[in-house]
Amino acid sequence: MSKELILKKFTDAVVNGDEDLAVEAANEAIASNLDATEAIVDGLSKGMGIVGEYFESQEYFLPEVIVASEAFKAGVKILQPHIKVQQGTKPSKIVIGTVQGDTHDIGKNIVGIMLGAAGFEVIDVGRDVSPKAFVDKVKETNADLLGLSALMTTSMVNMKKVLALLNEEGVRGQVKVMIGGAAISQRYADEIGADGYSVDAVAAVRLAQKLVAVAA
Amino acid sequence: MPTPKERFQAVVENRPVDYPPVICPGGMMSATVIDVMNETGITLPAAHHDGELMARLAEAVQQRTGFDNFGIPFCMTVEAEAAGSEVDFGTLECEPKIVKERFPDNQSVIYEDINLLLTRGRVPAVIEAARKLSQWHPDIPVSLTLTGPISFAASLVDPLVFLKDLKKNPAASHKVVAYVNDFLIAFAKLAIGNGVDIVTFADPTATGEILGPKTFDEYVVRYLGEAVTAIHEAGAPTIVHICGDIKPVKHLLPKIGADVISTDAMLSLAELKKELPGIKTMGNLSTYLLDQEGAIDRITARTRTLVHQGINVIAPACGLSTTSPIENIKAFTDAVHQSVAETESIG
Repeated sequence: MSKELILKKFTDAVVNGDEDLAVEAANEAIASNLDATEAIVDGLSKGMGIVGEYFESQEYFLPEVIVASEAFKAGVKILQPHIKVQQGTKPSKIVIGTVQGDTHDIGKNIVGIMLGAAGFEVIDVGRDVSPKAFVDKVKETNADLLGLSALMTTSMVNMKKVLALLNEEGVRGQVKVMIGGAAISQRYADEIGADGYSVDAVAAVRLAQKLVAVAA
Repeated sequence: MPTPKERFQAVVENRPVDYPPVICPGGMMSATVIDVMNETGITLPAAHHDGELMARLAEAVQQRTGFDNFGIPFCMTVEAEAAGSEVDFGTLECEPKIVKERFPDNQSVIYEDINLLLTRGRVPAVIEAARKLSQWHPDIPVSLTLTGPISFAASLVDPLVFLKDLKKNPAASHKVVAYVNDFLIAFAKLAIGNGVDIVTFADPTATGEILGPKTFDEYVVRYLGEAVTAIHEAGAPTIVHICGDIKPVKHLLPKIGADVISTDAMLSLAELKKELPGIKTMGNLSTYLLDQEGAIDRITARTRTLVHQGINVIAPACGLSTTSPIENIKAFTDAVHQSVAETESIG
């Protein structure tokens, strides 16, 4: 099978949320010695890009995005061991989590999936995460970015505490902080001194890319 | 002057009222703020578990805030706990949450006897609180706020797996949602039999933004619609609260059949009334504004606008932060209650 056909199969598998097709394409890619990185970037990630566009234009909603991400992950899982170690460029690292007092992590999970599909190394610390746990993870991983999520107005105040602790521990300068979630607005991001706010998962990827580019 | 109960019923029956009810229905939209608990010494999490304490706290909230109703319970975890999920009961200032959903996926759900679930966890405490409140204050309506079927199912089954299966495995999804919906209907009927006057559903996972119109229609309209019909047959009116941006699903809202539709702050209820003239609206003073120090003048002005726009029931947009100052909430309810006097003096 030609490279183009396999890449198209990857893209279709993701867009249609077809896990079996993604697995089939991955096995074909390996059998025909297709470069694994190329298969991910030009096949699977391209599919997630289309899913992102559909999500923005409200043709797709969360169930469709989750189904697509499952197909994406199924393909990556098979391709991963075949990725040739890259020289030079390292992916940017982002620590993400839902702040303390908040257990609503659907949005955060989708952001994590989209960031992963866009080539970020995503370190997900989960939900209801204390300021200390965020700061410790940023230090431990030397992350470039920190993404904080809050659905509720009652928990969004804890974002401020994370920023305060980053300052206290002297690491605020080395990490860009982006925030999001139902309760959050650009105004709140400005108020607490975060580096950026994004309204949804697709915008979060663009923001992360912008913040990393600025930092570099 | 009508009693608060008569006033709410008048709204439901499209009869004129002196002023719209200003309510906080409980559940996701609870007014159990720290100020009230500190003043009265009746505190959470204790009052989540004990019917007498729950009733006394709901009473204290009503008396200090001026809302035209009692709202119980004070969280969204009673249903999932009864169905077997693990709950962290939170603290004075932080509401309970699901620690772990009982089932990893729809296929592993164990279908239990609904009557058994009604005896579990805090269901009996909620029923006892309803009974006491209705006996102590027969003129003030008791609102029971339940977690809608999609959010409830996503508290019983891992939420990402559940959302995925809405698309991937509709048969299994329908079976789980029908099961939790049967429990919600039974819970509501039991509560109505014990003094509850209004049943409110809040289903924060079931927003237009999360599900999109097709899935919203397939699951939310169908199951909430069934619950609303069953509750009407049991003799109580219903409020349905839809979180987030309702734009993708706005046209579907009348199909649910609820007496009153409540929405988040980002939406103009006046616009919604124009677009869907058949529905009665509830809302939607910003939760954020109610939490701000020194916001009383803005709260009063915004509330008056809502009253003048003819919003049928006035309420906080998506509940209250537990840190909201009591003065703010009082300013909010006062602005509604005083609107009648002002209208009369102008007119």
